[in-house]
Amino acid sequence: MLRARGLTEELSSRHLRTPLLTSSVQWPIISVTDVFMAKTQSPHELLPLTPPVFHILLALSDEERHGYGIMQDVARQTGNGLQLGPGTLYGCLKRMLAAGLVAESDERPDPALDDERRRYYCMTTLGKRVVRAEAQRLAGAVMAANAKLAGGIV
Amino acid sequence: MTPQPGLIGTFCRIYSVLLYAYPRDFRLQYGTAMQQVFRDRCRDVARTPGRLPMLRVAVHLAADWLSTTVRENATAVWSAGRKQTPRSFVTEWAVTIAVYLFATTTLVQAYVVPTGSMEGTVRVGDHMLVDRVTYADPGIGGRYILPYHQPARGDIVVFLYPEDIRQTYVKRVIGLPGDHIRLDKQQVIRNGCRLTEAYAQHIATYPDAYRDNFPLAPDASTTPRGRDMFEHHVFNGEVIVPPDTLFVLGDNRENSEDSRYWGFVPRSYVVGKPLFVYWSYDAPTADLQEWTLNHVLDVAQHFFTRTRWERTLLVPRSQAAQEAGGAR
Repeated sequence: MLRARGLTEELSSRHLRTPLLTSSVQWPIISVTDVFMAKTQSPHELLPLTPPVFHILLALSDEERHGYGIMQDVARQTGNGLQLGPGTLYGCLKRMLAAGLVAESDERPDPALDDERRRYYCMTTLGKRVVRAEAQRLAGAVMAANAKLAGGIV
Repeated sequence: MTPQPGLIGTFCRIYSVLLYAYPRDFRLQYGTAMQQVFRDRCRDVARTPGRLPMLRVAVHLAADWLSTTVRENATAVWSAGRKQTPRSFVTEWAVTIAVYLFATTTLVQAYVVPTGSMEGTVRVGDHMLVDRVTYADPGIGGRYILPYHQPARGDIVVFLYPEDIRQTYVKRVIGLPGDHIRLDKQQVIRNGCRLTEAYAQHIATYPDAYRDNFPLAPDASTTPRGRDMFEHHVFNGEVIVPPDTLFVLGDNRENSEDSRYWGFVPRSYVVGKPLFVYWSYDAPTADLQEWTLNHVLDVAQHFFTRTRWERTLLVPRSQAAQEAGGAR
């Protein structure tokens, strides 16, 4: 888990150094596993997750959040490296709902924002298993990368 | 509370319009939430000082909108294509039936010829499709799109029998409005020209002055409309075809009840022109007028032997008569 975080921080710091437009524009990554997410019981069938899906799951792992709350938390996790737009966010949520990774909670106002009612989302058991499996996969990838790049070639 | 409420409000309104680029289901389900998120993001960035962050957010939101509309529409189309399989059976049959009903009532219609007045061209027992489009007035716009033309001399027309519009007749056009028509010894003289009609068939069993030297005077076989023709449209021993009507004769000239007996065909009674014979079956007139049990049994028994196979897909064609002058 910690190693996975390390990787995302690495990624986000790289983003921050890139020029203005490319760093601010996060083109959504369309992958087969994301678009065609099917309902499944085996978490490994959904791997690898796209970064938006992975970070949305992470955002929901400690508490249930509404859409903008997820967006803020994802930005915080990645050091502003991954900013989700409304289209990306709800597109992902729709597919994650269909796949059973997240569930809709109740609708209530957020006291920190205004008095408008917002739909809250929470993570399912399957979602938890999937995000753990993905974190392990990433940890393995980081370990392999560290072993290869330990010589300081890059 | 927010630094630029007016500007943010404008952005939100623009975004609510942009949401229409998403598929309908997606917009209805998440549109409100997406607007909330959009507004929250705008408010947050408005609190941070400087122009640069605002520009970055605007570009980011625009890029997000652009890419996710494409993506959501693509998945909507894809999943719609996949969902089609279970409902296709019902839909396809409904469409087929609708098209069939439209086509068979508006474009073409099937008729059977029960009498031999056109024998030689169209035979008793010919089942044919009639093109209802060509002679139907298509209106001002359709005239340039549809294959519309007026019936010409020598054309075969299908029309409602003027004395009883429940019956449909098929004959050949001999006279157009303004034509002078008379018959002399079974030969048509049109506008002073004696016609040589290759399509006409002369199998006279007995001489009949009314029939062979038309028009003389109405007799017992003349219908009310025929009498009207004799009264108002015969001048100097010739029929003059009035406007918006046709003068028609059967190709089986001596065994045909046609314009000689019941007058002109109003243009509006013309149904169409024969397209082709799809089935020709040798059966007596009475059987062809209505489907009786006897006829069904007869067809079941003799379908292969009595069907005139050589007439299948035969096209009854228009044919112009050759004109020879100086017969007046």
